[in-house]
Amino acid sequence: MKPATLSEAEMDAISDWSESSQQLVRELLGKYPDKRSAVMPLLYVSMIENGYVTAEGMKSVAVLTGLTGAQVQSVASFYSMYKREELGKYLVSVCTSISCFLLGADDVLAAIEDETGVPDGETGHDGTFTVEHVECNGACGGAPVVLVNYEMVEGVTAEKARELVKWLRDGGPDVVGTEEMQQLFGGAKSFDWAVREPEGAVLPVPAFAPYGSARGVK
Amino acid sequence: MKILTERMEAHRTDSHTIERYEATGGYSALRKGFEIGPEAVTAEVKASNIRGRGGANFPAGVKWGFLAPARPAYLVINADESEPGTFKDRQLLERDPHQLVEGVVLSSYALGVNHAFIYIRGEYPKPARRVQHAVDEAYAKGYLGKDILGSGFDLDVTVHLGGGAYICGEESALLNSLEGRRGEPRIKPPFPAVEGLYSKPTIVNNVETISNVPWIVSNGGIAYASIGPDTSAGTRLISLSGHINKPGNYEIVMGMTWRDLIYDIGGGIPGGRELKAWIPGGSSAPWFVPAEHLDTPATIDDVNDLGSMMGSGAVIVMDETTDVVAAAHRIVRFYSHESCGQCTPCREGTTWLERIFNRLLNGQGRMADIDLLIDVSDGISPGLTWPPAMTTICPLGPSATAPVVSIMKYFRDEVEARVVSGIPVALEAADG
Amino acid sequence: MADLVTITVDGVAMQGKAGEVLIKVAEDNGNFIPRFCWHPRMKPVGMCRMCLVEVVGPRGRMLVPSCTTTINEGMEVDTQSAVVKKAQEGVLEYLLINHPLDCPVCDKGGECPLQDHTVAYGPGESRFVEEKRHFEKPIPISELVLLDRERCILCARCTRFSDEISGDPLIEFKDRGNAVQVITFPGEPFSSYFSGNTVQICPVGALTAKPYRFKARPWDLEAVESVSMVDSIGSKVSVQSSQNEVVRIDGIDNDATNHGWLSDKDRFVFESIHSADRITTPLIKEEGQFREATWGEALDLVAERLTSFPGAQVAGLGGANSTNEEAYTFGKFLRTIVVTPHIDAQLDDGLDPQFLVGVTPRAAIPDLETAKTILLWAADLKEEYPVLYLRVRRAAAELGANLIVVHPRATGLDDVATHKVRYRPGTGPEVLRELTGDDADYTEIREALAAGPVVGIVGRTGLGEDPRLAEAVAAFVRDFSEGKIMPLARRGNVVGALDMGLAPTLLPGRVSESAAHDVLESEWGPLPEGLGRNATSILEGLRDGELRALIMLGTDPVRDHAEPELAAAGLDGAEFVVAMDQFITDSVAAADVVFPVAGFAEVEGTVTNIEGRVQKVNRLVPSPGQTRATWSVLDDLARRMDGNLGATAAAAIAKEITGVAPAYHGVTWDALDWGDGREGLLLPLAEGVQHLEYIPVDGQLASVDARYGLHLGRVLYDDGVRVRMSPSLAALRPEGAVFLNAAALDALGLAPGSPAVVEGASGRVELPVAVDNSLGDGTVYVPANLESTRSLGAAVAVTVSPGGDA
Repeated sequence: MKPATLSEAEMDAISDWSESSQQLVRELLGKYPDKRSAVMPLLYVSMIENGYVTAEGMKSVAVLTGLTGAQVQSVASFYSMYKREELGKYLVSVCTSISCFLLGADDVLAAIEDETGVPDGETGHDGTFTVEHVECNGACGGAPVVLVNYEMVEGVTAEKARELVKWLRDGGPDVVGTEEMQQLFGGAKSFDWAVREPEGAVLPVPAFAPYGSARGVK
Repeated sequence: MKILTERMEAHRTDSHTIERYEATGGYSALRKGFEIGPEAVTAEVKASNIRGRGGANFPAGVKWGFLAPARPAYLVINADESEPGTFKDRQLLERDPHQLVEGVVLSSYALGVNHAFIYIRGEYPKPARRVQHAVDEAYAKGYLGKDILGSGFDLDVTVHLGGGAYICGEESALLNSLEGRRGEPRIKPPFPAVEGLYSKPTIVNNVETISNVPWIVSNGGIAYASIGPDTSAGTRLISLSGHINKPGNYEIVMGMTWRDLIYDIGGGIPGGRELKAWIPGGSSAPWFVPAEHLDTPATIDDVNDLGSMMGSGAVIVMDETTDVVAAAHRIVRFYSHESCGQCTPCREGTTWLERIFNRLLNGQGRMADIDLLIDVSDGISPGLTWPPAMTTICPLGPSATAPVVSIMKYFRDEVEARVVSGIPVALEAADG
Repeated sequence: MADLVTITVDGVAMQGKAGEVLIKVAEDNGNFIPRFCWHPRMKPVGMCRMCLVEVVGPRGRMLVPSCTTTINEGMEVDTQSAVVKKAQEGVLEYLLINHPLDCPVCDKGGECPLQDHTVAYGPGESRFVEEKRHFEKPIPISELVLLDRERCILCARCTRFSDEISGDPLIEFKDRGNAVQVITFPGEPFSSYFSGNTVQICPVGALTAKPYRFKARPWDLEAVESVSMVDSIGSKVSVQSSQNEVVRIDGIDNDATNHGWLSDKDRFVFESIHSADRITTPLIKEEGQFREATWGEALDLVAERLTSFPGAQVAGLGGANSTNEEAYTFGKFLRTIVVTPHIDAQLDDGLDPQFLVGVTPRAAIPDLETAKTILLWAADLKEEYPVLYLRVRRAAAELGANLIVVHPRATGLDDVATHKVRYRPGTGPEVLRELTGDDADYTEIREALAAGPVVGIVGRTGLGEDPRLAEAVAAFVRDFSEGKIMPLARRGNVVGALDMGLAPTLLPGRVSESAAHDVLESEWGPLPEGLGRNATSILEGLRDGELRALIMLGTDPVRDHAEPELAAAGLDGAEFVVAMDQFITDSVAAADVVFPVAGFAEVEGTVTNIEGRVQKVNRLVPSPGQTRATWSVLDDLARRMDGNLGATAAAAIAKEITGVAPAYHGVTWDALDWGDGREGLLLPLAEGVQHLEYIPVDGQLASVDARYGLHLGRVLYDDGVRVRMSPSLAALRPEGAVFLNAAALDALGLAPGSPAVVEGASGRVELPVAVDNSLGDGTVYVPANLESTRSLGAAVAVTVSPGGDA
């Protein structure tokens, strides 16, 4: 799967993107038989560049995939992870679906809202936190579960959640690592994680190495 | 009997690496597959009687048989695990990604596919990293790419991350999403096996299903079929969650009773409290209650005959303290939030249900709301029968009616009491 | 023929074609199943769930959407069962949850499927007690269309139309589930040439069109079926009026032509009908100024002046915007009362008249449905023939035809074209020779063309293109397996006018002057001898004093002739000019006498489209002031010149045409008003009736050698009089510019926006330059007939230089 070659117009559309993102664009476009398929990963790349999905970012993705802005917006707005407003440094997502709910997720969410001072669905004034409740995150065996920049902590209690918030606020890491947070603030896990995860997130974008915000955890 | 989890249990620290995978027999099934040829691989999968592990429990070999002859064809692995209560695929992706990759290569070889996709839900970056790493290793070792192991067979694998939408677990919605579209389910027919990704013949299989393929090829389909009851062959991963002492994923041979599963394997209810109800197969499934179901067998067919489903194998346990109205609301809210918005009854109906529940929970319920909840549900799933009839394209909308029907069937007195007092019955009991 | 399948719906046996969906078969057989999202011209999506029915199968009854269920033999369907009724009630109750019920102030009220279905199938009351969803009330999403998201029921008809049919997906769903809304993208309005179709197919009042908003209540409307005369495609329309004023035009589904779709120009041009600038009394020019006159005065003056010239010194131009009956009367007046052979409905901007009306084998629009390969070497269809653009788009995108587009610049169809060839204007003959030869660049195209049936759509890519090139391309296409030709000329009834003999080489009924002269004399009496002049030659004759008087019928040579300077000089040189028109155009302003005539929606008659399909246009409103029908003016004039046209009524003229014009034998109004004729009658009606069978030839043209070749191409909203007089459309006219590719700009030392001069043998223009990288080296594109570009003639060889004082 060879990286794609970009036309002049396509390069123009991402001329203000970082070189590494431009290279990602080429690689991503090379991974699919039809360039429209790259819309979703390219939206993540645009979030890395702009912090969230901006109109300009969508326009760039539209040029890269041969779509109209309306089409890209239609796709982006369908999925809950393409955030359309500026986010805090840490996106704190609390699962409140059935299994987490049964084990006290609402208390965890309330504790996080209280400790951050940021209501569900909003971003704090200082830009540190965005707090949201989310639907099931596939950690029901380790309920309740909290994600920070999509890095998971399982078996969280309201108390531990407050500690997590304080830790993040008072000099939290640049790279959010699931293992570190689990050790410090987690409890029961869905299954044995077995081995230390070497990568973590640097942005509220899923830290998926080929195009997300992943970076090595110290 | 362990098939899927044997390696990860034996090798805690490195079951996900290619070194460990190879050292424990990994990729030998692939060599065998290339020796016996694609038709023979297909024959083994058919003989295994394995039923899809994504929730619909459709026989995988039969599904493969529907693949239309046109080429290119595609294999898409559904790793968009999102059904509340389900977390088994996450473990397979994180702990044994090569088992999946080998299954993908074997399946692609059998199906005549040269480009496969692994669609992983966006909220699973860590599993996606592990899978991508495994894919990279497989390329480096010649298990992927051109002329794999000198077989002449070529395969590319693209790992794709979703964007946060439960509905993409529905296979045709997943294909739309993979094409860079809104994850809206498609009208069927045509089925993906005839017109799937890019309108080409496509097989969509669940992670767990395909992870079984290396074992099936190594040991033979008949060996797999001989495990467990005839129509629930093989082992399967059960995810236990909720009010249970030992939550987690368990690879079991189907056939045990619910009592065995909840009290023996799951260690029973915390604090010795009473079991109130459980959901046998993901939040879409109608609930079971101890009085009627505790000693019935947990097999695909038995559960179906009793008006529910094994679905994705997610068992959610609720003890006596559970406010069932709030629990039902939580499930309804999920489906309302995850509705794609195409079909009128689902788009409007699930939200209406959620809003009626909101009133009940806020103490603003009316007795008429009980019939209204049932009737709105009936508009989404006419007759409220099992398996559900649908006024919608896909089963998401009808899924939202399962908790409504369940609480009205087993706990109607609690719902009525809630309307009268506005206070959860469980709480009243605690106070009283 | 498709196999017929028999099914039973509510106990009634009925037949449909294999592969058809249930909802359509039931409707075709008189059983209407309610629906919102299904539209017969778009792919079914089964979203609204209103059309659920029960199909009785071996495993019991199944509730299925009838719009996505294809029929099969023996299928048993119940559309009336309790389960179906419950589902219908449910869908309507759900839809009304969030619908604002502002019906009293909604344009759709009274013709609203949501209202109608609620009455017929709805639950009668709502049990919803919560707050409805709220959105900002109507927001403009383009210059023409407003969107009210509260009324929207999310059927996706508009979004699917713009994606699937018109290919400009500028409105789309946004968000998910209960939050879904239809919306545009910031900074990208819904500026589609086809936006009005979404208003028409919206099943509620969510999309409304500015020109119609709050103009009328549907139950007050009067309507007639008619045919759009904006271009020569002959799109079928419903013209609708309130209090004698046309307030709306909707598309009608004609399988042969427009499939129900219209361009926004077709749809909103009605505003010009009631323009305050309409001429409503006869005008006589005195001392350079028009003054109002009585009909008697004006007619007497014209009769006297025309009689004073020898017939052969008088010429007639126009008729291509008139009905066949008017055109016929105009031709008969010129040939028998004035007795002149100088007569042309075109302005040298179309094709050779014999080729245009007589080419054989001729393609009809439905041939696009079965074509394997389409060669399009003509105007940019999206700009000049928008409805034909939709049909070709469908052929390429939906039906899988190979589409080869040959054009000097990017066209609206490039995204669905399998092959694109771009060339510098003037070099077309060379491209054709390479294509017909064995040039390796075109191997794939030749292979595609080898797959028949082939339809060749040929015409002038721009105003400067030699019309003989189109004929040479036609000669090329003709040789392919099942090769058929569709020659294009734009003006609304140009084919009808030529069929009525408004060309020097033609006489009424698609016959050549030379072949039919004697036959026609037996009907009409003596005719002028010899072939007359065409438009260019007429204008030259007037300029040079060889001709002395001109009669114009609905034509504007100053704006539309390829050489505006020549046209102006011709009118200036004429001793006497009479114009019959609706507006004082640049050309009419040069007339000595002006007769105000009735136009579209004010007259009854027939028109003939580009395929040779005759359809009926109808009268709905009275024409303003003292305007009169063209035929009646001419008849009156003839009497004052001691002649008699016998034009007593349009219907009587039509009857005369069927007798006199060979190709029109049998084309009666009765045949067009009733039965299959309502879809139009395609000429020739029978073998051998069409006397003119013109075989196109490749005249071996030479290429024009020049540093810059000018592509003077039309845009949809140009400065034509009807656009100018329709305020909604006039606002959409683009600014003019000189387009070059980026390299050419660099070479000239020009930055985008800086002035450049384009100059050729027939005019000059100075305008800002803009980049269009679809233009090849040496191609300069200037949109034709805009206020800022009208001074530029159509000469191919031009010079381009920096403008300003530099």
